[in-house]
Amino acid sequence: MVHFTGLDYFWTIAYLVLMIGCGAVFYRLGKRSGADFFLAGRGLPWWLPATSNFATHTATDTPMWFSGMVYRHGLYGMWYSLFAGWCAVSAWVSARIFRRSLAGTQAEWATQRFSGLGAELIRGWLAGWQVAMNMFIAGWVGIAMGNVCNYLFGWPLWVGLVLFSSLCCLYVITAGFWGVIIADVQQGITMFIVIILVSIWAAMAAGGPSKIVAGLYNLGMSEMLNPFRSTGFAKGDYPILWLITMIAVPFLGGFGMATHFDWFVEAQRIQSARNVRDAGYSIWWGAAAVIFRNAIWALAVLAVVVMTEGKLSGDEAALAWFKVGFEYFPVGMVGFFFASILAIHISTIAGILNLGSMYATRDLYHHYINPQASEDKVVRVGRWMTVVVLLGSFFFGIMIGKDIVDWLFFALWLMIAGTWLPNILQVIWWRFNAWGYLSAWIANLGICWLVVWILPAFGVIPNDLPQHIQFWILIVLVAMVYIPVTLLTKPDDMDRLVKLYVQTRPIGFWGPVKREAERRGLLQALAEIERKAETEAKGA
Amino acid sequence: MSWIRRNWTPHEADEWTKEDWIAVVLSPFSYVFITFGVAMSLFLLPIGFLFLGLGILMTALMFYVIDPKLKAVSESYERKQQEYLKELEKHQRWEE
Repeated sequence: MVHFTGLDYFWTIAYLVLMIGCGAVFYRLGKRSGADFFLAGRGLPWWLPATSNFATHTATDTPMWFSGMVYRHGLYGMWYSLFAGWCAVSAWVSARIFRRSLAGTQAEWATQRFSGLGAELIRGWLAGWQVAMNMFIAGWVGIAMGNVCNYLFGWPLWVGLVLFSSLCCLYVITAGFWGVIIADVQQGITMFIVIILVSIWAAMAAGGPSKIVAGLYNLGMSEMLNPFRSTGFAKGDYPILWLITMIAVPFLGGFGMATHFDWFVEAQRIQSARNVRDAGYSIWWGAAAVIFRNAIWALAVLAVVVMTEGKLSGDEAALAWFKVGFEYFPVGMVGFFFASILAIHISTIAGILNLGSMYATRDLYHHYINPQASEDKVVRVGRWMTVVVLLGSFFFGIMIGKDIVDWLFFALWLMIAGTWLPNILQVIWWRFNAWGYLSAWIANLGICWLVVWILPAFGVIPNDLPQHIQFWILIVLVAMVYIPVTLLTKPDDMDRLVKLYVQTRPIGFWGPVKREAERRGLLQALAEIERKAETEAKGA
Repeated sequence: MSWIRRNWTPHEADEWTKEDWIAVVLSPFSYVFITFGVAMSLFLLPIGFLFLGLGILMTALMFYVIDPKLKAVSESYERKQQEYLKELEKHQRWEE
């Protein structure tokens, strides 16, 4: 339990008023159109979506799992956090292609990339999946807040879950993505300052950086400072195969779309950027801020390792960063620290509520239920859907309880393992078609349960199979379904592919589509238009 | 660095070229070096400062290479964006 003074309450209440105030200030902008409610009008300079990326990807559970990893593995544990590395490649490849498609969501992209019934099935499936997934993410982030409030104030878990997500929902309903993005900027700056301050406090409490290093050597834990340790190719606690997986999956994943669940969040920010260049920059700098944050966190966590002599249990280690803030910050600053935790929490919840609502409104309601809906109607439905996603998050949050980590990893597996390669193929290979993509999703859902839960339970495969091995097994098994399906069914409609090619210029194996676009004279005509526009611009 | 092209027409910038690949290769390295460079520098480890320096150098080089091309792509695409948005809304409303 933590004791709050008057100044602590002031920081907390002031922060909440500021956040909800954003809703009132940006109410008029948010209600102008669907593009404003969900994409802030598609005109933002790169640093706004970049800050929003950083804020959204710093959730309440992030310092928990990051602290747990670094407390256990030292700097080697930071490789886990490099999943954000997909942004390194995506910023210059898939973000550029996706921004040019102008698709509001990944589901909408599916109907631009694929054709016919298969494309519509994918769109409907992805939209429904994303609505459920965003409820789930808001639920697990929400219950992490429940855990923090339980640790701080002794509240029942559901109170922390319901109270702060509901307050956050107020400004998301009112101002939509405008409210989300502006609040994210304030939250991003607040949390960045606090992360630096807490790390400095932790380092000071442990006697400074040199003392931390000396302490690790004295404890016989100097390996904690080595991020490149290894125990052989496939065996031991630090196998090279795991490292290869952790490097290959995010970085190669950047060539595709939706190779990681964060892509769906980033996709919204990519489309909110004012042009292709700003979209790429927002992705690159947002993730750069994330990895910079992780490096600063590592200082605080290793300081705790020295102070506790590495004796904390897994659950205690997960709360290491929070403990430093609450136990070492001076009186009056504890409320500021709590406000920054609220910033961390609310920025994620806000983005997730708006994103879930976007899939429900743009892809399900507007595209399938009421295609002729006015902009006004779209915004109104968007508000109602925000509430639906919020209520769904309560259901998932209470169901998850305290077992966050198991759920988190399985949800990630469901999302990325078997569909990782198909999500790259949809960008780089023209022949990969709607039925191949759809079959990959269906096969992944089935095979994922088999490999992760069912086969180990019956002793068919080992119970303790490392996750990186599971990943490669899933890649191979799912490929055995979608590759034959793709090759045995017809390619997507050439008109659709040519249109996509001319508009987005995808990378990779698009030779037949490019030749068809040239045969139709489309690329030459575009080049001519651009030449004229440039000559006119120079003349003017 | 004459082998790095910095003047692009919109049509040429639409193609994937070696400048894109240079950025794609440098970018992951710069993330890795910055991650471990910042962390190890905070512990005042000499190798950390070396990593951080490499990370900053790679980042600067990456933007030097890719920025002119991205500018050209953006300018050219923005001229056509309104037309594409109209088509997108037609598709959304099943009008095409």
